[in-house]
Amino acid sequence: MIPLKNIKYLLIVVFFSLVACKKVITLDLSTAPTTIVIEGNITNEPIPYQVSITKTVGFYQNNTFPNVSGAVVKITDSTMGITDSLVEGKAGIYTTSKLFGVIGHTYLLDVIAEGKEYKASSTMPKQVTLDSISFLTTAAFGKFNTNAVVNFQDPPGVSNYYHFIETFRNIPPKQIHVFDDRISDGRYISRQLFNDSTIIHRDTVDVEMQCIDKNVFSYLEELSGQDATNGQPTSPADPTSNITNGALGYFSAHTTQRKRVVFQ
Amino acid sequence: MKHTLLGFFLLLILLPAISFCQQTKNKFTISGIVLDKETGESLIGASVGIVGQKGLSTVTNSYGFYSVSAAPGHYQLIISFSSFKTDTIEVELNKNLTMQINLSKSSALLEEVIVTSRRKSDNISRPIMGVQKLSIEEIKNIPVLFGEQDVLKTLQLLPGIKSAGEGNGGFYVRGGGADQNLILLDEAVVYNPSHLLGFFSTFNSDAIKDLTVYKGGMPSEYGGRLSSVLDIKMNDGDNKKFRFNGGIGLISSRFTAEGPLNKDKGSFIISARRTYADVFLKLSKDTSINKDILYFYDVNAKANYKLSDKDHLYLSAYTGRDDLGLGSIFGINYGNLTSTLRWNHVFNSRLFSNSSLIYSNYNYVIDITAGTNNISITSRIRDWNLKQDFQYFINANNKLNYGIDVKRHSILPGNITASGTSSFNDVNLQKKLSLESTAYISHEWSATPTINITSGVRLSNFSALGPGTFYTYNTDGTTKDSSTYSSGKIVKAYTYLEPRFAASYKLREDKSIKFSYTRNVQNLHLLSNSTGTNPTDLWIGSSNNVKPEIADQVSVGYYQNFKNNLYEFSAETYYKDMQNQIDYKNGAQLRANENVENELLFGKGRSYGLELFLKKKYGRFNGWIGYTLSKSERKIDGINNNQWYNATQDRTHELSVVGIYKKNDKWTFSYTYVYYTGNAVTYPSGKYTLNGQVFFYYPERNSYRVPSYSRLDLAATLQGKKTKKFDSNWSFSIYNALNHANAYSINFQVDPNDPTKTQAVKTTLFKFVPSVTYNFKFL
Repeated sequence: MIPLKNIKYLLIVVFFSLVACKKVITLDLSTAPTTIVIEGNITNEPIPYQVSITKTVGFYQNNTFPNVSGAVVKITDSTMGITDSLVEGKAGIYTTSKLFGVIGHTYLLDVIAEGKEYKASSTMPKQVTLDSISFLTTAAFGKFNTNAVVNFQDPPGVSNYYHFIETFRNIPPKQIHVFDDRISDGRYISRQLFNDSTIIHRDTVDVEMQCIDKNVFSYLEELSGQDATNGQPTSPADPTSNITNGALGYFSAHTTQRKRVVFQ
Repeated sequence: MKHTLLGFFLLLILLPAISFCQQTKNKFTISGIVLDKETGESLIGASVGIVGQKGLSTVTNSYGFYSVSAAPGHYQLIISFSSFKTDTIEVELNKNLTMQINLSKSSALLEEVIVTSRRKSDNISRPIMGVQKLSIEEIKNIPVLFGEQDVLKTLQLLPGIKSAGEGNGGFYVRGGGADQNLILLDEAVVYNPSHLLGFFSTFNSDAIKDLTVYKGGMPSEYGGRLSSVLDIKMNDGDNKKFRFNGGIGLISSRFTAEGPLNKDKGSFIISARRTYADVFLKLSKDTSINKDILYFYDVNAKANYKLSDKDHLYLSAYTGRDDLGLGSIFGINYGNLTSTLRWNHVFNSRLFSNSSLIYSNYNYVIDITAGTNNISITSRIRDWNLKQDFQYFINANNKLNYGIDVKRHSILPGNITASGTSSFNDVNLQKKLSLESTAYISHEWSATPTINITSGVRLSNFSALGPGTFYTYNTDGTTKDSSTYSSGKIVKAYTYLEPRFAASYKLREDKSIKFSYTRNVQNLHLLSNSTGTNPTDLWIGSSNNVKPEIADQVSVGYYQNFKNNLYEFSAETYYKDMQNQIDYKNGAQLRANENVENELLFGKGRSYGLELFLKKKYGRFNGWIGYTLSKSERKIDGINNNQWYNATQDRTHELSVVGIYKKNDKWTFSYTYVYYTGNAVTYPSGKYTLNGQVFFYYPERNSYRVPSYSRLDLAATLQGKKTKKFDSNWSFSIYNALNHANAYSINFQVDPNDPTKTQAVKTTLFKFVPSVTYNFKFL
C-alpha cells in the first residue's frame, strides 16, 4: 500500500534536516543464541534452484555469516509427487537436480540441520506480465528524485502479491519493494519503486518482478517494515516465517521476469 | 442491565427533590460567584470560608460559583485565590444571601507577606490525589522549544507525566499510553492535541484560564480514559473593557481580542495563532521549495452572557488545522473542531446546574499524487454530546455532584478516493457508530475536622451500533462469521460500574495522608504505529471483538506544607492494573482494512511507582523539583512469548527541576532541567543475511533502553516600559542550552564506508536552539 508509515519520518527528516545531526554510536547490544536462517527459492526460470542455510551473528561482528554444512535438504513437488534431494556444492548452498518450477505447483521444503528439522511450503502463483519500466521525477524541498515505475495490469478477482528487485549503478539493493493488490484489484498498476538514491541520466536499471505467494509476501512486508531506513517502527519484530521450528528466512516458489532499461 | 441503568438515571433526576426535603433547618446560605475585579473573569477554585468556623469553607466550581451555609449570625467571609489579594467581607446572615465577590490581582512579590489563608493549604485537607494544577503565569515563564508557550510540554515537567519523546506533545501518565489521556477543552474532547506531527500542542496559552490534570483519583464526573484527565478551561473574556494582546515569535504569532458584549453582562474573547514557516518557503526561487506548504493555526473563541442572576450562557469554540505539503506530491491536512454550548442555572442558593451540548470533530485528508496515481484518504471521528451536571451544596459538610452524559460517536475509519487513472480502487469502509451513556454521582463529605471523604460511582454503558456488517474471527486469523445489523441495532453493549473513592486524614494542620481507589473504563482505542501521536492514527470503538480497557488504580500519599505553606511537599505511590490492553500482530494492516480488528492482540498491563514533588509556591524565586520512580509492563498474547515485558512508556527514573526568578520589575529568569532514563525499546540482538542484504534479529520485545535523556533550558523575560495604555515584553530562550545530544531516534544500518560492518546511528534533533518572542498588550 502507500508508504504512509514513512511519511511522518520523511517529513520530520526534511523539516529538521537543518538542525538534525547524525552520529554513529556504540550501544551495548547482546548477542542472542545463534539461529538458523534458511532462504530457498523455486522459480519458473531454468533449473537449478538453490537453498542456502546460514546463521545469525552478533551485531558488532563482521558481515560474514557462517554457512551451515552437512544439512539434509529435500524439496518435494507435491503436485507431481517428485522429491529432490539437494546436493551441497559451496558450503551452505544446496542445489536441486531434477525439479522444475511450474506455475500452480506446491513445493514442500524439508531441512534437517544441526539436529533440528524445519519445514515449509509454497505455491507458485500465476504470472502477471510486466509491461514496461518507466521513470518518474518528483521534487520536494529542492531535491529532485527519479524513481523507476513498474507498469502492469493486475488481474481482477484474485489476490496477487508482487515483489520487485531493482538494481542500478551496482548499488546493492536497500529497499524491499513488495505490495499486494488489496486495494488495487483489477487496476492497471503503475507504482514507483521508492529508493534512497536517485536514478541519474544514462543509468542502466535492472528490474526483476516476482509474483509471490501470500505467506512470502507477509514475510517480506514485515521484513521491509522493520527496516530502519524505512521509518521508525515502534517495536520491530522478526517477521512471521513460513518455515517451522523458529528458523529465520523464507521458502518461496515464485515466477520471475526481468527487464533492463536505460534512463535517458 | 438496561433496567439498572434506567433506574440509576431516574434516581439521579429525583435526587434534587429528595435532597430538598432534608434541607437543614435554621441555616442560611450565602452563594454567588467570585470574579476578577479587573476583567470580570470568573475564578475557578477560589476558596470561600467563614472566619473562625472550622470546616465552613468551600471552593468555587468551574464557573466561579460558591455556596456556604451557616446558622444565622454575624460573620466574616474570607475569600482567597492564588495570585489575588485575599478579601474579607462582613456579612449579617439572617436570610439566604446572594453575593458577587470581586478579587483584585496582587503582584507576585506581595504574596510573600500575605497571611496564609485556607486556600493555600487546600492541598493538605482536600481528598484529592494525583492532581496537578498549573497556573498560566507559570506556563508563560517556563522556557520551551522555539519560544512557543506550550501547556502540554510544561505539564510533562510534573512527576508522573512523561513526554512521549523529544518535542512530542504526546504524553504518558503513570505508565499508560498516549491515547489513555482524556483531553478536554471546555468539556469537549480534543482527539489530537498536537500540531506539526507532535512538536507543538494545540492549546494556545493566551486562550486558557485554568488547567487541571488528574493522574489518578479522578472525580466520578470524569471517565472514558484509563490514565488521566486533562481538563482545560478557556478564558471567558474581559467584561469591563476591550483589550488586545499578542506576540510575535520566530515561528508563530498570536493575537487576542476581548471585551464586553454588554458591560458586566457578557463578554467575548477571540484568540488566534498561526505559524509562518511557509512564508519563508514562498520566498524561495526554487520551484520545488516554494510550492511546499507547512503551517498550522488555532482559533479559540468564546462568548458568555448573563441572562439573569440565575442564568448564564456560554458558547465556546475551537478550531485548529495543520496543512503540510511536499510540492504537488503529497499533502496532509488535519485538525480538530470543537464547540460547547453551556447553560448555568442556579435553582437556588444550594443547587447549581449546568447543561452542555458539545460537539467534537477530528479529521484528516491526505492527498498523494505520483505520476498517474491520484488518491486521497479521508478519516474522521465526530462526537455529539449532551451533558447535565448538578452540584448540590447540602450543608457545610456535604456536597453532591451528579449528572448524566450521553455521547454519540461516529467514526469514519479511512476512505480512499482514487482517480480513474490511479493504480488503486476506491475503498469505502463502514462508518462505525456507537453510543456512550454514563450517569455519575459523587459525595464530598467532611466527616470530621480531620477526615474528608469523596466517594462516588460512575455507571457507564457503551453500545456499538448498526448499521453494518460485523465479523468474528478464528484464532488463526480467518473470518469465522459475519452478521449484518440494521440501523440503531445494538451489536454489542458493555456496562460497567466504576467506583471512585478518596479519603484524606489530616495529621496536623500542615500534614496529611490520603488514599484513593479509582476504576476507569475506556471504550475508544487508538491504533497507532508510532510512539506518540500521529495525525493518521485510527480510533476504534469497543465492539464484538474489542473489549473495553479497564484500569484499577490504588494510590497512597503523604502531603506536607512547610514555612506557612510557602513550600508544598507530596509523596504519592500508586499501583495500576490494566485489562484488555491492545497491541498488534506482526505486519498489521491498520489502514483501509475492513478487518482491522483481526490485526489486534490483547493482554494486560501493570504499572507502579513513586512520585515526589517539592514546590516553592511564592516569592521572588519559585519553582519545583519532581522525581518519579516507576515501572510499566505489558503481557500480551502473541508478543514476547506471552511473557511480561517492559512497556514502551517504561522509564525508571525521571527528574525535573523548574526555577523562576524575578530579579526585579524588569527581568525574570527561568530554567528547567530534565533528566530521565531512556524508554524501553527493541534493538537488534544479532543480524543475518537474506538475498545479499543484511537484516537485524529482534528476538525480544523492549529488552533495551534508549540512552538516557537530559536537557537544560533557559529563558529570560525583559519587561518593557509599562504605560496606562501599553505593556510589552521580550522573551529570550535557549532550548537544550548544554548542547546535549539526545537521541531522537536510533537506526541500524550497514556501515556505508565499510560494508563488512553494521552500525547504530543516533539522530539528534535539537541542540542549543535559541529563540526570541515579542509580546504586547493594549490595555
